[in-house]
Amino acid sequence: MAIDRRLLTHMNWGLVLMTAILFCVGVLNLYSASAFMSEDGIAMGSFYQKQLVWGGVGLLGMLLVMVLDYRHWRSLAWPVFILTVVLLAMVPIAGKTIYGAKRWISLGFFNLQPSELAKIAAILIAAKLLARNSHPLGWGEFVKVIGVCLIPAVFILKQPDLGTTLNMLLNVGGIILFRGLSKGVFRTCLVAFPACLPIGWMFMKDYQKQRVLTFLNPGDDPLGSGYHIIQSQIAIGSGEVWGKGFMEGTQSQLRFLPEKHTDFAIAVFGEEWGFVGCTILLILFCLFLLAIFNTARDAKDRFGSFLSAGVFFYFFWQFLINMGMVMGLMPVVGIPLPFISYGGSATLVNFCLIGLVLNVSMRRFVFKTN
Amino acid sequence: MSMQLDPEGYQPPKLGLLLLQGLVLLLFFCFFLRFWYLQIHKGDEFAKLARENRLRQERVDAPRGLLRARGGELLAENRPAYALGLVREDCKDIASTIAQVSHWTGIPEESLWAKYFKDKPRIKPFQPLLLVPDVPFDLLAQIESNRMLWPGLEIVIRPRRYYLQGPLFAHVLGYVAEANEKELEADSDLALGDAVGKQGLELVLENRLRGDKGLQQLEVDVMGRELNRKMVQEPMAGDSILLSLDFELQRIASEAFEGQAGGLVVMDPDTGKLLALVTQPSFDNNAFAAGLTNKQWNELRDDPFFPLQNRVIQSVYPPGSVWKVLMAGLLLKEGVNPRETEFCNGEFYLGKTLFRCWKKHGHGAVDMARSLIESCDVYYYEMLNRIGVDKMEAFAKANGFGEQTGLGLPHERSGLVPSRDWKRKRFGEPWQRGETVITAIGQGFTLVTPVQVACFLGALMNDGKLMQPSLLADSEPTVRRTIPLNESQRALLLDAMRRTVEEQRGTAKRLQTKGAVIGGKTGTAQVVKLKLKANDERQKVEEMEYWERDHAWMASWGYKGDKRYVVVCMLEHGGHGGSAAGPIVKRVYDHLFSEENQ
Repeated sequence: MAIDRRLLTHMNWGLVLMTAILFCVGVLNLYSASAFMSEDGIAMGSFYQKQLVWGGVGLLGMLLVMVLDYRHWRSLAWPVFILTVVLLAMVPIAGKTIYGAKRWISLGFFNLQPSELAKIAAILIAAKLLARNSHPLGWGEFVKVIGVCLIPAVFILKQPDLGTTLNMLLNVGGIILFRGLSKGVFRTCLVAFPACLPIGWMFMKDYQKQRVLTFLNPGDDPLGSGYHIIQSQIAIGSGEVWGKGFMEGTQSQLRFLPEKHTDFAIAVFGEEWGFVGCTILLILFCLFLLAIFNTARDAKDRFGSFLSAGVFFYFFWQFLINMGMVMGLMPVVGIPLPFISYGGSATLVNFCLIGLVLNVSMRRFVFKTN
Repeated sequence: MSMQLDPEGYQPPKLGLLLLQGLVLLLFFCFFLRFWYLQIHKGDEFAKLARENRLRQERVDAPRGLLRARGGELLAENRPAYALGLVREDCKDIASTIAQVSHWTGIPEESLWAKYFKDKPRIKPFQPLLLVPDVPFDLLAQIESNRMLWPGLEIVIRPRRYYLQGPLFAHVLGYVAEANEKELEADSDLALGDAVGKQGLELVLENRLRGDKGLQQLEVDVMGRELNRKMVQEPMAGDSILLSLDFELQRIASEAFEGQAGGLVVMDPDTGKLLALVTQPSFDNNAFAAGLTNKQWNELRDDPFFPLQNRVIQSVYPPGSVWKVLMAGLLLKEGVNPRETEFCNGEFYLGKTLFRCWKKHGHGAVDMARSLIESCDVYYYEMLNRIGVDKMEAFAKANGFGEQTGLGLPHERSGLVPSRDWKRKRFGEPWQRGETVITAIGQGFTLVTPVQVACFLGALMNDGKLMQPSLLADSEPTVRRTIPLNESQRALLLDAMRRTVEEQRGTAKRLQTKGAVIGGKTGTAQVVKLKLKANDERQKVEEMEYWERDHAWMASWGYKGDKRYVVVCMLEHGGHGGSAAGPIVKRVYDHLFSEENQ
């Protein structure tokens, strides 16, 4: 198969550029965060190397996703979804317990985390179901989409992984909003959603409730999650206008900052690059999100549009929640910052989702071949 | 190859798109503002915190509640102990620091490293990891003067439980020791190195004694030196607790044992409050609070006299003739006329099996009172052979035997009241009539704890109310149940016990105390089957091996004016009840009814 030149011309190069920059910033930041992260003289600073390897794997995954026309992915939505649910159902039976949580299935050479796969599967299936027709979404379809996506959500909630469950459901909710609801459904949701919050509270684990309470009153637990928030604010704040410079952050280097390579990675960045660096990073993320958004806007079919919208919301929520948490604007929930936080499977999923968006963007003017 | 335009030509709603873009920009604006607030507006402040001082937060130990005897005498308090901690974050070179600590203290480097790696996952880098929990005072000065050379080392003052009376109250108070892995898991309030109650009242009253930790905020410089300390939350001391135990009484009773093994309990029959709970030999609970060495632990564990055993509640013994008081009660309840006599010639035949009275040539004609006063065995062989084991079992249980008294110390045993069912389950054999006969005089399978006997005697004095014994001064008296004996029946038993002390031939006459009314019942409980000499005579106590000698019981009560007490003593391998346990109980009464105590 010859590569169609138009595929390359129409590709969302802005998104490619933004992704590349963000990934590089992430690796640099990890390099700094982990370079001095040593205990007993043994450096633990291989996180950035691992992240680079995962970046390579992610790139490969991204290319694989791009090669196949996204309209084929549409037909594959159900098989992927069902496979995901089966894998999720296997976790409690055949799962492997790491850090006290059963979330992985051992495949011998590596541990698969089906909940990561579920994030992609949910976006695919929601886009497919919502793309069937164009009139505003009525009750029937609304219930159907939500119902289908709740199946994996229940499994993931049981693992327990509240962060991923929320992330997944918020993505689906985003796509539905993007699609447009009929007025009746919209109004009902507006009332029903706040009413569901107390029910959600009941399903939360004690330590999760504790985090929310700590957020509302940080003085409550200054040695636990309150400590994280206080220390990350000191780190960010002490960066002032210009920052302390690359690898010069005292707070993070002196091991004051917890989880600095994962959920709190942005605090290291804030300390070392200051207000100027943070503003630039914000703009980068802004452009990154808008680049995905443009693909969703310009896609010529509903499926492609909703698919891109799903990816948009995926990054949007992660960005919102992680930043809000590190800066003390939201409760601490374990959600990473895309491309900046360390994490193998998360990096892979991120790249694959970008691949889907690029897939949609490059084929937006392509004619179907008979 | 023909081309075809994608048929959908989809256009998403304009307004929604605008809204979404607006939302993204709004979000960025919020975060931008937040960065501005943290880094520009508050930047100076945070930079100062980060540059010069760093904030640390530390928990402040709450003093553990004090324990006092009835008269206010302090039994358990907290004293400062000095520990050597390592703050990993401030330490430039952990390996040479640990080598130095080893050099100072003489503790091998390997064990310091072992402690280091064991505790590291639970201790934050800025918190002191306690390498040496207890630093002797002379070493302290040496370390303190060298501390500037060893950044990261810190002397940590920690409260250490101290038991002022050591062995005297050890079994009651128990002890505290460092919380183990399991306790840390189960209780989120506990931190590594915290002491928790492990035995005795320290364990049972843990929640009341512990108190709530405080929190202080520390500012430290880059070297880890403390600049400023602010209490954010004051620690709340645990409750101080007043015990019902009488300090002097406990001391006198303990001394009365003089190197013998056994237990003694003094109870107020009306409230169930315990005035003395003595177990000998004892151990020093301070050793546990300081952390036992392996050698100390092995010595305690391998001691043939089991100093860790609380003999009043954790040891069970055959009751011997003390049981006769209960059996006489059963006879009364079953309608036996107390004046009815049996003739004792020293022997009782059940079929062809011979059962002997302890008095070789017999007591002659014996009624119920006489059977108690002189402790005749044959009377009970005869009488209880008629009543049968089923009624004996039910009656013993109704009087609180075979169950825990609930006095509030851990590991209390319930003893054993045998029955047909029990024997079938235990041995797979039916009950023998001969077993009924020996059970009647407190031999056989029956096992009791001294505190059960005390409760039973208390109920005889106290309108039949079986009290729950208590060690706390402020606890409400609790009635467990009422025993099935009416007032005249109880009076009859008490009267026989009084005559056991007062009459010339009474077995407990040693207890006679001027000005006080005292009733008693002796008991001699066989430990091993009798070794009969060739001429069919029992060995004398002094001739027997210590471990083969009988246990000696003395169960008694006494009053003078409105002061009423139950005193029960069990002397392991003491020989005869009256002659061995008697003098100990007598010392207790001499103190209880002495002039200055009135």
